[in-house]
Amino acid sequence: MRSIKDLGTRPAPVSLRDLVAKVVRGQGPAIAVERRQIPYWQERGWRRNGNVYEGSYQTPYAAFQGWIEQEHSGRINFYLYNPSQQIRGHSHWTCFQHRGNDWYLIHMAREPKDVGSGILAIERLITEGYES
Amino acid sequence: MKKLSVVVAGTGQIRDIQIQSGTTAGDVLHQLNLPDYLLSKGPNDPFFAAAESIYDKVEGGEKIFASTKAEVGIRVCAA
Repeated sequence: MRSIKDLGTRPAPVSLRDLVAKVVRGQGPAIAVERRQIPYWQERGWRRNGNVYEGSYQTPYAAFQGWIEQEHSGRINFYLYNPSQQIRGHSHWTCFQHRGNDWYLIHMAREPKDVGSGILAIERLITEGYES
Repeated sequence: MKKLSVVVAGTGQIRDIQIQSGTTAGDVLHQLNLPDYLLSKGPNDPFFAAAESIYDKVEGGEKIFASTKAEVGIRVCAA
């Protein structure tokens, strides 16, 4: 029989100890991740400065720079920069009023009660322009 | 039964609901007390009609949007 030499003990590597600890204690309790309850405009990355919002109308086809002004009366004005040919070909193109420097004011037949709803409506219109 | 999260676009408030087969968009809006709103899956999808059953058109756990009625329109332009 061959003799062996006892070299003593040494701690296992940290990674191995962590792995063993995980197996022993199981998966552990689930962490509840809280949902962010933020307005649509904020979810879409728009920034607010007083009664003015700046951001972009985003669709899978294209994004367009925009700004929005909320008047004290509650009326909300939506502006879009440099609309594409697809938007210009939409049946509602006549509702885009040129305000200079390629900025267009978008008229609403039915005005939204909040900024987010207006952004949604305009993004939907842009998508329609690209899909029609 | 399907569970849905309805996000109110203006506030970001999330309302968790459970719907049965045949539940319409109008049923949801009525029960959430959002009479002037429309439901949609997002900006890339059309609004659900009030009488439209949404059960087969949404996935369980999906987030859908409630936004106030807004329309880029001819009438104002023509006025």
